Amino acid sequence: MSKSIKEALESTFRDVQVSFREDNRMAVTAENESVLPILRFLKDAGFDHLSLISVVDWIEDNLFELCYFLTPYMQNDDEYTDRQKLHIILKTPLPRDEPRFKTVIGLFPNAEPYEREIHEFFGIDFEGHPRLTPLLLERDYEVPPFRKDFDTRKYVAELLDSVPPIETKKK
Amino acid sequence: MRELELYFGPQHLGMVGNFSITLKVEGDRILEAAANPGYLHRGFEKLMEYRTWIQNFPLVCRVNVIEPDHIEMIYAMAVEKLAQIEVPERAHFVRSIYLELARVGSHLFGLWAYANMLGFDTVAQWAMYHRDLVLDLFEELTGGRVYHIYIWPGGVRRDFPPGFTDRIVHTLHSIGGCVPDYNSTFFDNRLFYERAKGIGQLTQQQAKEWGATGQTLRATGMKYDIRKVEPYAAYDKVDWEVPTRKDGDAYSRILVIRDEMIESVHMIFKLLDAMPEGPVYTRMPNPFKWKVPKGEAYVRCESSRGELGLYLVSNGGDKPYRVHFRTPSYPHGLIVLEKLLRNASIADVGNIMISLYVVAPEIDR
Repeated sequence: MSKSIKEALESTFRDVQVSFREDNRMAVTAENESVLPILRFLKDAGFDHLSLISVVDWIEDNLFELCYFLTPYMQNDDEYTDRQKLHIILKTPLPRDEPRFKTVIGLFPNAEPYEREIHEFFGIDFEGHPRLTPLLLERDYEVPPFRKDFDTRKYVAELLDSVPPIETKKK
Repeated sequence: MRELELYFGPQHLGMVGNFSITLKVEGDRILEAAANPGYLHRGFEKLMEYRTWIQNFPLVCRVNVIEPDHIEMIYAMAVEKLAQIEVPERAHFVRSIYLELARVGSHLFGLWAYANMLGFDTVAQWAMYHRDLVLDLFEELTGGRVYHIYIWPGGVRRDFPPGFTDRIVHTLHSIGGCVPDYNSTFFDNRLFYERAKGIGQLTQQQAKEWGATGQTLRATGMKYDIRKVEPYAAYDKVDWEVPTRKDGDAYSRILVIRDEMIESVHMIFKLLDAMPEGPVYTRMPNPFKWKVPKGEAYVRCESSRGELGLYLVSNGGDKPYRVHFRTPSYPHGLIVLEKLLRNASIADVGNIMISLYVVAPEIDR
């Protein structure tokens, strides 16, 4: 099953690298332009559950790796197959300075909060996203806080030192 | 009628947990709802990048306050996968029993929240009492009532103490003996039916589109359960059923939760019978010098709320390089809830939210 998906991906798209691992995980690396077509292709092939969108900050290579995690829901209500064990991780590199990408909300409506969170934590812009407003954080950060070059010690020192000390009233 | 903006939570009688929803209402009808999380954001995923592999265990269990055990499980599973650690056979059974106990405890807590919200105070108190009995078991086994830190890479921290199996059976019998009382007071009650039937209804197609898993999906008829789809621990060693309903409303979701609790209790009895003898952990290297080989792992398990996943990346160091949790409440609370609240009435906000089983700490992390 996984082999046929691998062959279909390799024959349909150029510049894709597909590697299959023992534990039913398939890693697909693709260029930015082919991510949306591949996602559409995989959705049509039955991988209709986008379980997660994640980013890894590879600061030494100066790039972000955007990862889409896809797995199939059940076709029937009560039939378990080997195909459901397969989990595809679709990766694409993005430059670390001014990273931007297209939103996939049109294909998978549940991508909305994931993209919002990535925008907030890593500063990646998603074109076409209806609300890239802050989701979890309340302050503004110079460097988005989940990037590797975010200086946690400096941040804590600045934040805590700026808190005014509690003054005791003089009697 | 005039449009109003209403802040529902975090300080609101109808709200359970540190979560807030901004509602745009016209009279009693909700025009638009915007989930507003972040009150419990602790940045665990970033913190974990600064702690060693073992030091992270006290952190991961705090991702979901109500049910920390499955989070421990996926973190241990991911580390085992990266470091290629074998888990002894008995440990798989111990883990499964422990996780099912956690599921029963978590569902009882969920039942407390739901019954309390509907005004069934008696049922809520019963559920809380029964959850406490489960917590007593955890206290004896692990030393902690809420946070257990029991599952470890390579197995579990220690074996069941002498006589513990009997106490599990005793506790589960005393909980199971009250199921008829629960049924007559709550589940078969006309008031519960009237209040929950048809509320927050979604079709299977919508559930799939919005990324729903767990009870929200199973209440629409699909038997999607990671314990069956991709079995881990000892779930493929015993026979058990995945309870489902067809209608996809709050009523179905709560009944799925009840059936699941009963199924879990049966499963624990079967697991106890089938449990082999042997060691429960593999010897681990010195945790201070332990380096996990370079690589990435995505693992998933079925928590009491749905599909729980973890993406763990190692660059060959003594700390994780990137950690990302896929928590079931994330799509439920931020997508499904917003969509289902549209056109609902204000009185049903808590009803829909608790029936979706949304926990705020899981969303914020």
